[in-house]
Amino acid sequence: MSDLNTVTAAEAPGGQPNVPHGPVKKDKPRSLAADAWSELRRRKIFWIAIVLVAFILVMSFWPSLFTSADPRACSLSNQYKGPSGSALFGYDFQGCDVYAKVVNGAFNSIRVGVFSTLVAGIIGLIFGMASGYFGGWVDAVLSRFIDIMLGVPFLLAGIVLSRRLSSDPASDGVFAVTLTLGLLSWTSGARVMRSAVISAKQQDYVAAARMLGAKPSRLILQHILPNSIASYIVLLTLLLGINIASEATLSFLGVGLKGDAISWGIMIAEGTQFARTQPWPLVWPAIFLGVTVLAFIMLGDAVRDAFDPKLR
Amino acid sequence: MPGKAPWKMAVGATAIALLAAGCGGGGSDDASSTSNTVVIGIGEPQHLIPSNSTESNGSEVLSSLFYPLVDFDAQNKPVPVAAESITPNADNSVWTVKLKSGFTFSNGEPVTSDNYINAWNYGAYGPNAQEGAYFFEKIKGFGDLQSEDPDKDGPKKAPEPKAKTLTGLKKVDDTTFEITLDGPFSGWESVMGYTAFYPLPKAAWKSEGVLADGFEDAIIGNGPFKMKGKWEHDSQIVVEKNPSFKGTVPKVDGITWKIYQDQQAEYADLVAGNVDVQTTIPIESLSKASADLGDRFKKSPNSGFGFIGFPQYLPEYKDLRVRQAISMAINRQEIMDQIFLGSRTPATSFVSPVVAGYRENTCGDNCKYDPVKAKQLYTEANGPKELKITYNADGGHKAWIDATCNQIKATLGVNCVGVGEPKFSDMLTKAKAHENIGLIRLAWLMDYPLMENYLGPLYSTTGSSNYYGYSNPTFDNLVKAGVVAKTSEEAIAKWQAAEDILAKELPVAPIYTQQNVFGYSTKVNNVTVDLFQKVDLYKIEVVG
Repeated sequence: MSDLNTVTAAEAPGGQPNVPHGPVKKDKPRSLAADAWSELRRRKIFWIAIVLVAFILVMSFWPSLFTSADPRACSLSNQYKGPSGSALFGYDFQGCDVYAKVVNGAFNSIRVGVFSTLVAGIIGLIFGMASGYFGGWVDAVLSRFIDIMLGVPFLLAGIVLSRRLSSDPASDGVFAVTLTLGLLSWTSGARVMRSAVISAKQQDYVAAARMLGAKPSRLILQHILPNSIASYIVLLTLLLGINIASEATLSFLGVGLKGDAISWGIMIAEGTQFARTQPWPLVWPAIFLGVTVLAFIMLGDAVRDAFDPKLR
Repeated sequence: MPGKAPWKMAVGATAIALLAAGCGGGGSDDASSTSNTVVIGIGEPQHLIPSNSTESNGSEVLSSLFYPLVDFDAQNKPVPVAAESITPNADNSVWTVKLKSGFTFSNGEPVTSDNYINAWNYGAYGPNAQEGAYFFEKIKGFGDLQSEDPDKDGPKKAPEPKAKTLTGLKKVDDTTFEITLDGPFSGWESVMGYTAFYPLPKAAWKSEGVLADGFEDAIIGNGPFKMKGKWEHDSQIVVEKNPSFKGTVPKVDGITWKIYQDQQAEYADLVAGNVDVQTTIPIESLSKASADLGDRFKKSPNSGFGFIGFPQYLPEYKDLRVRQAISMAINRQEIMDQIFLGSRTPATSFVSPVVAGYRENTCGDNCKYDPVKAKQLYTEANGPKELKITYNADGGHKAWIDATCNQIKATLGVNCVGVGEPKFSDMLTKAKAHENIGLIRLAWLMDYPLMENYLGPLYSTTGSSNYYGYSNPTFDNLVKAGVVAKTSEEAIAKWQAAEDILAKELPVAPIYTQQNVFGYSTKVNNVTVDLFQKVDLYKIEVVG
């Protein structure tokens, strides 16, 4: 069994202090993950992405490391003042510190991105797994449903759903946007999962396990899932980036985050209104949004390349 | 085949006609296809029934479809228009209206006294819940048309009112009728210039006192224009010249009232020439408006008065000190300079400077920015830690509400959020239902040029636009006393005394008085926007 799990376990460093250098390693059978890792380590783009993602994560969870200014303390007397020592990116129309707002906006972007991707990941996993493993009419029904979902225009559905979910104008809209994006973005993942499960199901080790009397639950959890999840995780990494951008889109359109919430999408929407007078309050959040989305997509790309032998 | 030729020709002619129509419909700049019509931007009207229309969008559209009894001259004096004459008796309590003869509705019905009497009875009848019912309050018998709901918002229905018609309205003949008021009111003629006093044709009624289905969407008036098609909600209302109209004929052949949810989009359309007049240029675009529009960017005085209402039904604003503190925490001058770029002025009184009886600075210290005192009062009164100001997102208010909130936050050290309701009507509906929507952003454009118009509808207990539930019997009585006063000087004295009560009790925080900041396209000329923020439809003309 070239099972991913077992091999990773055998390679775990703890118990083997005497694994020395080159020749020994060469003889060791390497798993897909280990293979991918050694491939990844040598890629510059992967490290750039990792550094950027780490940077953004730190910024969203510990904004106080970057700025001590209160993003909600705005004063008209500072309207459109240029960059200075206290406000790195200057002030916007309402006299808010643009730098403080950008830094504090990261949290909402990451939060919505991560949780909506999780929602999408779980739905996609269940759908893909069920239709791939059971096949037959289950597959037919689920696949057609996925086709229908894919046919729904994303932006239109996003606007409608997000509006419905947050009809209370006083809510900040985080829950509504997270759910909206989660419910709308799982389809391509489900398809990828389905084909991965179908190909894993046909492997000899699955047939062997089945002959030994393994129950479907054991087959799925022990054998099929670990061997089909790699490409799915890669896809989710890409999706994370896309969902962050979608959150900004919805917020820009006024149906995403709102009210008191600080979001790059809202900043961009507000910046656009006054862009002809003062472009900087628009440019900075746009740059941060762009870089964040790029970082996650680069990471996903690099990981996918590493996992897919054909692309190597 | 002899039969074929005409058929072919007919097809050819149709094709050309279609082509030509396509050209005109596309709004191309081709001179041959530009018709003598203008496009004016508005927001979605709440209603189009005259007695139910108390906001500016609806009344602007109605002003094109109806011809009022009176209009106002440059000095804000009433001038009879659809009326031949309006004459009061000795003590101003009985008014005789004589209509000009020969006027018809756009469906051909002659305009008679009955049209006015029936429309007004409908407007005043309590169960019809007309927004403008307030205007008929002064007519004798109004009380009998109302009924009190025994358990307020409870399940029990209000009993049927005693009467269905106002006893104060009496038909003399087809073109003459008499209005008996509850008491003397020297300003009554001015009041009749308001939207609520338009007549309705027989076609409006399904049965006596019941509006015909769908009448509101295809309303028939006695004005210079008539509806072309139906009210296309959230899109547009098209009106065309009423050929049988006998009054002052406008210079344009039709108006498209284009409905916008977003003033920025409207402004973009104005610059692009897709809309001809925008009566309010959004503040986001003010700094560029001179460059974009040149001398087509204009300012003129208007009657607008903006304020923030403190809902009396919310316990946290019961304490006067809380209201004072919030009002004092707002630096009005800064908002006018930085947000409105000087296009509005800080309000220091409860009425607009355009009406007789206006006094500067009646609000006194309560409307002066005083952060130290504000903080002190707020702490003493233990004001709420969270404030929210609800505004309508379709009216271009976000910027100044956000700025106001930021000032309140900075001064009082509490959190403050601006909450945008998508539509103005949504916000009013919630306020009426006494939902906790926090402070309410409101503004007032006068209906008729009397000081009373800034007091009665906004603060009297039964006022049509008293969305914050202010109620003070002394105030109500003073306003009424001014209404029945013999002379306008006496009336103004009473109303000023009423205003002083407002200054003490501060049911709202006055913020700004407005100017019209409007712009128009190269296609039109002679554009004026009056004190009521309405485009003068009789003056506007198409260039060339």
